Amino acid sequence: MSTSTTWKERLAGKIPADMAEEIDAFETQIHLRKQGKMEEKLFAETRLRRGAYGQRYDNGQRFDGTQTQQLLFPEHETKGPDTFWHAPGMMRIKIPFGGLTAAQMEVLADLAEEYSEEILHITTRQDFQIHFIHIEDTPDLMRRLSAVGITTREACGNSVRNVTACPLSGVCRTETFDVTPYAQAIMSFLLGHPDCQDFGRKFKIAFSGCEHEACGLANMHDMGGVGMVKTVDGVEKRGFKLYVGGGLGAVPHQAQLFNEFVPVEELLPISQAIARVFARLGEKKNRNRARIKFLIAKLGIEEFRRLVHEERAILPEDPQWTAFLDDLTVTDEEQLKPGQPLNGAETSEGFAEWYRTNVYQQRQAGYVVATVALPLGDITSHQLRALADISRRFVKETTRTTVEQNMVLRWVSETDLPQLYDELLALGLAETGAGTIVDITACPGTDTCKLGIASSRGLATELRKQLGEQSAKLDEAIEGLRIKISGCFNSCGQHHAADIGFYGNSRKINGITVPHFQVVLGGQWKENAGSFGLATGAVPSKNIPEVVSRLAKRFVEEREKDELFKDFIGRLGKREIKAMLEDLTQVPSYEENSWYYRDWGDTRGFTMDDLGKGECAGEVVSIGIMEIAAAEREVFEASVALDENELQAAWQGALNAMLRAARTLVKEQFYDVPEEADVVVAEFRTRFYDTELFSPKFANYLFSAHQDPASEFEQTQVHRFIEEAQLFIEGAYTCYYKIAAPLEGAKA
Amino acid sequence: MGLMQELQRINIKMYLEDPEALSAEEAFRVFNSWIPTTPDEVLIDVADYSHVPEGPVTLLVGHEANYSLDNDHAEPGLLYSRKRPAEGDLSARLSSALQAVIKACQRLESEPSLDGKVKFRGGDILLVANDRLNATNDEEGENALRAELEPVLAKLFAGASFAIERDTTSQLRLNLRVRCDTNANAATLLSNLAA
Ligand code: SF4
Repeated sequence: MSTSTTWKERLAGKIPADMAEEIDAFETQIHLRKQGKMEEKLFAETRLRRGAYGQRYDNGQRFDGTQTQQLLFPEHETKGPDTFWHAPGMMRIKIPFGGLTAAQMEVLADLAEEYSEEILHITTRQDFQIHFIHIEDTPDLMRRLSAVGITTREACGNSVRNVTACPLSGVCRTETFDVTPYAQAIMSFLLGHPDCQDFGRKFKIAFSGCEHEACGLANMHDMGGVGMVKTVDGVEKRGFKLYVGGGLGAVPHQAQLFNEFVPVEELLPISQAIARVFARLGEKKNRNRARIKFLIAKLGIEEFRRLVHEERAILPEDPQWTAFLDDLTVTDEEQLKPGQPLNGAETSEGFAEWYRTNVYQQRQAGYVVATVALPLGDITSHQLRALADISRRFVKETTRTTVEQNMVLRWVSETDLPQLYDELLALGLAETGAGTIVDITACPGTDTCKLGIASSRGLATELRKQLGEQSAKLDEAIEGLRIKISGCFNSCGQHHAADIGFYGNSRKINGITVPHFQVVLGGQWKENAGSFGLATGAVPSKNIPEVVSRLAKRFVEEREKDELFKDFIGRLGKREIKAMLEDLTQVPSYEENSWYYRDWGDTRGFTMDDLGKGECAGEVVSIGIMEIAAAEREVFEASVALDENELQAAWQGALNAMLRAARTLVKEQFYDVPEEADVVVAEFRTRFYDTELFSPKFANYLFSAHQDPASEFEQTQVHRFIEEAQLFIEGAYTCYYKIAAPLEGAKA
Repeated sequence: MGLMQELQRINIKMYLEDPEALSAEEAFRVFNSWIPTTPDEVLIDVADYSHVPEGPVTLLVGHEANYSLDNDHAEPGLLYSRKRPAEGDLSARLSSALQAVIKACQRLESEPSLDGKVKFRGGDILLVANDRLNATNDEEGENALRAELEPVLAKLFAGASFAIERDTTSQLRLNLRVRCDTNANAATLLSNLAA
């Protein structure tokens, strides 16, 4: 039996000294905040930088299906603005490039049991998340992780987040070289680096071994590196095609090419210089424009590049820049067994299908990568512990998490697959369909995220169930499509980069709020998230499975030979797609079918608070809502014009749509507002922006476009502007519901 | 022995008589209804994990403790997990954790919308010391915990004999499965404990 009374004592000497000191300091900060001796905003940033995040309902309010209730947390200290001390939170745990040892998996499993609810969640950035954690438990949790070489430092907050990389790096058949040691090097170099402590927003880095597969997603990161080799003076040199300023978020930005070839010796210093320029010139006050993509858009890529090179030239030499190059084998993996092909041994039922969808042939003969597909990215502590054991017996602990929220076992001797399958099956870990249409990615959404609007996980579960039932009959063309779902426009589910993407929003029907999802089509997962989709229309949550089914059917029936889904969508045209889905946008009245008024996976009414008002409002649809819906149609027309390459018309259409929605809101307070754009914008600013009735982030889209209209039109810029207009419309709906609800009630 | 006294995180599970009696959806609905109607503890949220096999199918998250329809080892039951420190010595804390889980079982058994189909086995209890620091899954840990638990169980089962078994797998938390040949219902067990 142990004799230590604390984890700090028990793990003394097993945690790197600097980490131990930092965790102790954080523990002290917890006490200081608890005693009111540390300012709440400062404490919030401090804990975020250590990976301790807020969760839904931490403002102490929850809708119980009848009314919004105050949760009776015992005391009223806060751990951030509007965040109750006692509200359990989420812990994000960084796993650089997704690489895990068996001991690390076991500790993660232990922590999920002792501090959480025995569930671990894998994120789209290869992190782990554990939910419902008490803030007082976080220092011990960090100590236990640190003792096995894992940190939560800078997992959240305005910092360099987890560095991701293709989960196949090192064994991939199409990679240029293994990017793992470079991902590892940049992660250690930038972790806690003084030049990375003063960012206005987070900074995400990803590495990919090749340009044409999706795994690294270099195009949708603040900085993305794609492995390249170049022959210089007859010598082959390694480097990275470096991209900057990519990102999804509310309005996606394709990354811009920073340099065709950054030699590996320059990777760290250039990254440091980029960090310095971002810290010095990036926006600090307005969070919504603080990602590096906005700085690059403002400066232009040439000027940004010039500034980075200028900064690079004056950086004091640091031996760390190249020290890692002396031993690039640090992240190399070893095989446990000789690689041998399947030997014709008898296999269990289901093996063939699992083998078809979940097994990847490594470039090293006889070895394969086996994917453990995890519905919604969730795994129990028991499963993870058992997987740790498997990773010791079948491979040499060569396990990684993936950006598709799965885990992979690398270096499996092919001959072992039947036995591996049987063991995974016994653990409930032999789900088939990895990387196919049933392998749906979803962000936490309304389950745990404070910003979630609709249930992305609920919808993903339903789609997985429905598609899974048909999986044996799915056409090959459909099977390879990707579905990705976000609970709101913020895009943590990466919906922009999916063939079929959805993000949560809501609409009011007769005064009652109905969960909806915006349908986003035309994105591309391949080629490192090669293109981003555009919104096509909002459909009630409960009709989304039918949307998928219609799109799939049409694609199978009308696809031209080898046509990509994104090209098919382009050929069909938005107008046709809208017409095809039109009937699905209709919502029956609550009395006719109340099922539409609940979200997937939730037995509560979506917002029963509104039910009373809805009943009073009867069938009345206000003129305001009709006007905002008309503005939404204008955004749609703009996206059609974009498809037809009428860029100026598309841009103008999107601006007109925003003006129309803004005027609709102004009319609620100033009925005779003239139509002149200047007046509408000025009135809108005073009445809705200054009063914070309207999202300032979305309002700025209108202000910038009105103040500084585009004179030249470029495809990606217009694409982005249409996205902004769509978000402005979402903001208009939300604001209208806020200001007009009492009036609607009064009308009845 | 000293360290066992520090044990605060106590998990107790009671098993459903009919494993099919409570669906994830029913548990989700009922747990939601408990949040605003449970004045003596802070209940916060309900999470659905029915997509994960043999896990916490439906979780009712609380401030002091969580409750879940738990399906570990494909044996569904109601799991109570105490998270925050409770009052009293270990024996008092074990007793209050037992009381909390039995009360919750009783509440489910009498939930009108479940039509009386949910019943728990009164004589089958799993206790997990959810704290690897203070309670190790070895003989010494078992003895220390049994010393505290047995008098509480003697009270709970009103002197009826019971058997205790431990799964000795080293990576597991210290766990004791208690079996007693009794058909006492929740009300009886609660009154035994209070006696
Ligand atoms: S997309 Fe929205 S709902 Fe989903 S995790 Fe991000 S912020 Fe939350």
